[in-house]
Amino acid sequence: MDKLLTLTALRRVIQLTAFVFFVYGAMIFATFYTGDKLTQSLPALSCAYDQSGGDFCALIPLQHQMDHRVSSIFTQGEKVLPALMGTLITLGTVAVLILILNKAFCGWLCPLGFFQETIGMIGTKLGLTQMGTLSRETITKIRPIKWFIFLFLVLILPLLTGIGFLGHEWGNPYCSICPSRIMTTAMTGDMSQVYISQANWGYFALSLIADLLFGLMIALALFVRAPFCRICPILPMQTLFKKIGLLRLVKNGSSSCESCGNCVKACPMDIYEIQESAENKNITHADCTLCGRCIEFCPHDGVMNFKYGPVTILSSSKEGFKKRTKIDKWWRG
Amino acid sequence: MKKAVLTLIAAATLWGYGDGAVYWAPHGCDEGKAAASKHGGHGKGESAMFALMNRDGNASAQLILPDLSAKPLSFKRNTVMLPKPPMGGYYAVVAEGNGTNTVFSAVRYLSLQGRPSKISPTKLTALSKSVLEIVPDPLHREHDRYTASKSYRFVLRFHDQVLANTAVSLQTHNTPAQTVTTDGAGKFTITLPDDFKNVRIGRSENKPSEFLLTAQYREGETLYQSSLSMPYSLNPNDYWQSQSYGAGAIFIGFLGGIFLYRRSKTKGAKRG
Repeated sequence: MDKLLTLTALRRVIQLTAFVFFVYGAMIFATFYTGDKLTQSLPALSCAYDQSGGDFCALIPLQHQMDHRVSSIFTQGEKVLPALMGTLITLGTVAVLILILNKAFCGWLCPLGFFQETIGMIGTKLGLTQMGTLSRETITKIRPIKWFIFLFLVLILPLLTGIGFLGHEWGNPYCSICPSRIMTTAMTGDMSQVYISQANWGYFALSLIADLLFGLMIALALFVRAPFCRICPILPMQTLFKKIGLLRLVKNGSSSCESCGNCVKACPMDIYEIQESAENKNITHADCTLCGRCIEFCPHDGVMNFKYGPVTILSSSKEGFKKRTKIDKWWRG
Repeated sequence: MKKAVLTLIAAATLWGYGDGAVYWAPHGCDEGKAAASKHGGHGKGESAMFALMNRDGNASAQLILPDLSAKPLSFKRNTVMLPKPPMGGYYAVVAEGNGTNTVFSAVRYLSLQGRPSKISPTKLTALSKSVLEIVPDPLHREHDRYTASKSYRFVLRFHDQVLANTAVSLQTHNTPAQTVTTDGAGKFTITLPDDFKNVRIGRSENKPSEFLLTAQYREGETLYQSSLSMPYSLNPNDYWQSQSYGAGAIFIGFLGGIFLYRRSKTKGAKRG
């Protein structure tokens, strides 16, 4: 039993609970918040298209606000503050949630993150060769994609749609390609989001990208860790507020860190920067999901830490490392 | 055979939507409904004027707000004009009345924008609005709408108790009435027909249609009749969206991933 008492095991339990709540929440609870999802924008991919879900991610209101409200500054001469009020409220909500949990929304609560990790576990059990850490070169190429998606698909294209430069299909282009839309609806037995649209070229392109991306994500998740998370536009949005997050990854590194590299090997997002020496420094990177695997797999006492405000809540240790390595070997068979 | 054909022709000729039933319909002159059809799901542009069809003389109407308070509505001929919504959320327009040995009611739900009421819409549906009542189970949600070719569940209640093994009629403007029967828990499921005509490509190019559920129940000398009328939209998956192509595209994406897996293995083997 003690074997199972690890940070990852705790994370899996919380991920599963969050998955049930976010995907099926309204079937279980009948409160205002779960009943009609009129509020609560989460910095995690909890899809608004899921009619049984308990909440929704902040990206859908952001796109709608760009399309319908912010655009009115240009089209109707609306005053800036009233036009931006909805966006400011959404961002304010996200900021408050980031303050509480920081980027742990990704590593601990996101339904799509859990879905990918579950497929990864299946891939491991099927005996598929896991890719391990991606090269620095590959990571450098991938990293800007999420910013591109955030800026263009979440903000700029919906805004241009609202102004009238683009057709209605570009009003929420990120949702149109998001794998979470297909995954969460399919999980409730609703397959209506799996389609190729022939309405026009825009709808066709977006629906084709969505389906190809979903299939690709499932296949990649079998042997690559967190394939979609690497380009997810939630990460840039969280990065805007990560400085205020109370939960953070703090490193008090020793000189042996750079030669060890265990933390990078353990990191599902392949963040090479975390192996660099640091003294009592917040190293929560833009790509970090605060999953805590680097803490579990660090063999040095007190080098990698989870801190909540001034309080250290988890530290790396030799004992913890030994236990975690043993479990990892057992899991991989 | 000839007799059967004549009967069918006679039935088709005589059939009329909502024939005899008292039900709510958006007022034909109200442009709000057309605006709503362009961008449904938020209640923006929702019709503000409704007509009580086949209205009897003594019918009264009220608007039940998301906070479950009620506002009386006054008829102008057979129409009511809704007041400006003081809050956002789900509303119910309810009409009740009685005739000789009959009690009738008609209900319609709306979703309107405004400051959230913070009261679950399940409380609005749970609230008893008439003696005999057809209740959505559940009411569709924000960003959702009743859609053709999809199934929806309802409950039939009488004096707040579920009514088992009772016939409920479903009809639309283009499909004659069909009957479903409630189960032991008073629940029944309907599949909205794909019966839109002159369909144009693009959801916003097609106006929503209306469906009507009616039920009646006799207790002693009194016949209780109730209706629920709601708009429903066409299902793009029946027209310009192909689900089989979508599944095919997912499969191609999956194969792409498998190709990358094989390539990564080959590269790994070369490196090793």
